[in-house]
Amino acid sequence: MPGPPKKRQKRDEKQDGDMPQKKYYRQRAHANPFSDHDLTYPESPDVMDWSQHYPAFVEQSGNTSIDKDRKSEDQNDASPPKMSKQIEIADIGCGFGGLLFALAPKLPDTLILGLEIRTSVTEFVQEKAKALRSQNAAAGLYNNISCIRANAMKFLPNFFHKAQLSKIFLCFPDPHFKARKHKQRIVSTSLNSEYAFVMKPGGKVYTITDVEDLHLWMVEHFEAHSSFERVNDDEVEGDVCVEVMKTETEEGKKVERNDGTKYVAVFRRLKDPPWP
Amino acid sequence: MNHPFQLVEIAKPPAAQRDHPGYLLAACGSKLLSTCLATGNVVSEWTADVGSGQVAVSNDTESTHVGGSERPAKKQKTGNASLATAPNVIKLAISPNHQHAVAVTDDKCVRVFEIHAEGKLLELSQRTMPKRPCAVQVLPDNATIICGDKFGDVYSLPLLLELKAIEDDSPMGSTESHPPQQEASTPFKPSASMQTVHTKRNRKALEAQLKQKNLTPKSKAPLQFDHKVLLGHVSMLTDVAYASREVDGKQRGYIITADRDEHIRISRAPPQSHVIEGYCLGHREFVSKVCVIPGTDLLVSGGGDDWLGIWQWPAFKLLARFDQMRALLHDLIAKTNGSNVEDQGNDKEPIEQIAVSGIWIVPATGQDGTSKEHAVIVACEKVPALFYCPVSKLLEQDAPWNLRQFRYPILDITSVGTTTLVSLDVRGEEQQRIVAYRLKMQSSGGTDFQCDEETNAKLMGLDCVPSDIVDAKGLEDLLYGAASLRKRGHQDEDVAEEAG
Repeated sequence: MPGPPKKRQKRDEKQDGDMPQKKYYRQRAHANPFSDHDLTYPESPDVMDWSQHYPAFVEQSGNTSIDKDRKSEDQNDASPPKMSKQIEIADIGCGFGGLLFALAPKLPDTLILGLEIRTSVTEFVQEKAKALRSQNAAAGLYNNISCIRANAMKFLPNFFHKAQLSKIFLCFPDPHFKARKHKQRIVSTSLNSEYAFVMKPGGKVYTITDVEDLHLWMVEHFEAHSSFERVNDDEVEGDVCVEVMKTETEEGKKVERNDGTKYVAVFRRLKDPPWP
Repeated sequence: MNHPFQLVEIAKPPAAQRDHPGYLLAACGSKLLSTCLATGNVVSEWTADVGSGQVAVSNDTESTHVGGSERPAKKQKTGNASLATAPNVIKLAISPNHQHAVAVTDDKCVRVFEIHAEGKLLELSQRTMPKRPCAVQVLPDNATIICGDKFGDVYSLPLLLELKAIEDDSPMGSTESHPPQQEASTPFKPSASMQTVHTKRNRKALEAQLKQKNLTPKSKAPLQFDHKVLLGHVSMLTDVAYASREVDGKQRGYIITADRDEHIRISRAPPQSHVIEGYCLGHREFVSKVCVIPGTDLLVSGGGDDWLGIWQWPAFKLLARFDQMRALLHDLIAKTNGSNVEDQGNDKEPIEQIAVSGIWIVPATGQDGTSKEHAVIVACEKVPALFYCPVSKLLEQDAPWNLRQFRYPILDITSVGTTTLVSLDVRGEEQQRIVAYRLKMQSSGGTDFQCDEETNAKLMGLDCVPSDIVDAKGLEDLLYGAASLRKRGHQDEDVAEEAG
């Protein structure tokens, strides 16, 4: 087994502040979302500790050190450090994080989180964020992005509160070409209910793919869902996030190189209907 | 060897006399028996037929395609098994007005029965679901079945089929409610193109696909009956419950679903079941059962954790936890080992892990002997004991939970009047398989299980009905499924890898 250990070694040789190299973090592009991965996730969003991910946004209080001492004594009752901001944008299946790194300087006051199911790819994004933070320490950039390893199809409500997010990105998701695998697609009637749950009314879901069939599938399922409406073309054209999504995502660049077509669709989270 | 009764329910058909105590419906393997609790006579005996409706049809088509290049159906086992032996009854529910019973058999078939005034059961319909249901309930409208399956989908079905649908199998009624993924057979067109696949091998595969002109559509035939997908979990679904509460003078309905990934989800009832209201989060292991306490906003949940949760479900808030399950079980084991030295080391091994298999609300009488109360009863898989606590004391600081020992593990519980019927995993001839008790509150705060001899006498007849052939391995699978919901830690996987 010459492969993995060598890669691991190369990763470790990197100096602090250096950019990680993608070739040492490659991982098979598919994961079975139905199997039990050895995932760690909080039992509820209330107990999730975001302070490691966004240290610049931890709420400053006078006696933090005392708080910390107390925490180590009885861990069960301790609530995580308070954050001055909540995550508002989630990039589901962020891959190597192209979108995160492009959006970070454009929305420096908004916390953005990438969710990725592949371990080493998650590590890469975290390392790159760290490196970019230290390189841009003076400007204070890239403090607003981070990445976690998670299965968003199962555990979204473990990370986010009801109506917490204003944007969700689903960029170049696994197309799962075979009909038998369609239930593994990231967009489905039942999953859309979960996206609606964690989103603010008025929030937007951004989708992009180079597979027309998948594009039609996503449009069909979001339009059929009573919690979403499709955003019209004019509004999509004027949206900065759409431009970033088209040009800055890793897959977006790859499609560009291969002369592929990019299909974009954006959907707005509607208010819940009044009870009948 | 006897086959224990895996499911028990009480039916009191409205047409029966007012003071009639009702009928006990008990499932024994593939049989469903109805016993009159007034006379003790077994009034009806129904056996699930071998290979019903759509299952038989799908087997036929499979055999004709044997020569084809089609990928073999993944779950052929269930189809073949149902040909050999009659399917077992795995779920049983009674409509709120007690006019109908719904039984699910392990051939994925939902069967609706009419309950006659004299307790007889008449099978009205069979509907084969795409996946094996794991929970079934009839809504308070007495017209809708909700049915959840392991794959995470919750469906609603009309309780009674419309005449039109029976006469001609026209799929008209179902076209509207089909999930969009079930499309009619269209000519094959690969969704990948030369632009979307880039590696050499993938491109070759695509070319091969394009050459192979029209593949037979692999998706299964759409369901031939009216149904709606209400909601879905990606995680494995374990239980479904309906709850309602009054807000601003109007009743609001909710569907509560539990899954293997520790979630308890509260959704609106149809027609707004796409709206998720919230989650009751806090379990660390799978949730296998949720039980709404009628007349309150409380929900009791249990599963692979060694505690039970008592939630104020409309606020998604954990109000109390009963943490002493393990402690009470250890006390009980210590006590029995101490008093009964001969039994030691036989079948009394310490409880390693807890898997809640049932939560029920049953009637109890107060200390004065007349006042009415209710108690929560909880069974754990393969544990010959029941946890119980009066509903009114659930939220007290030290809620008076107790453990009552039995000689056999508990399979199912139902209640009628002030009597609680407990179905035990008795496989020999030495004891009645269903035993009746009355629960009486003690002044100490505890509750007493007193044998209800009168009802017990009526249950004798059930034991005379010849039992199904018992296949020990199959029986274990039928009766005990909760423990297997526990996720294997990755340590286990490491061991497995080393071994392989």
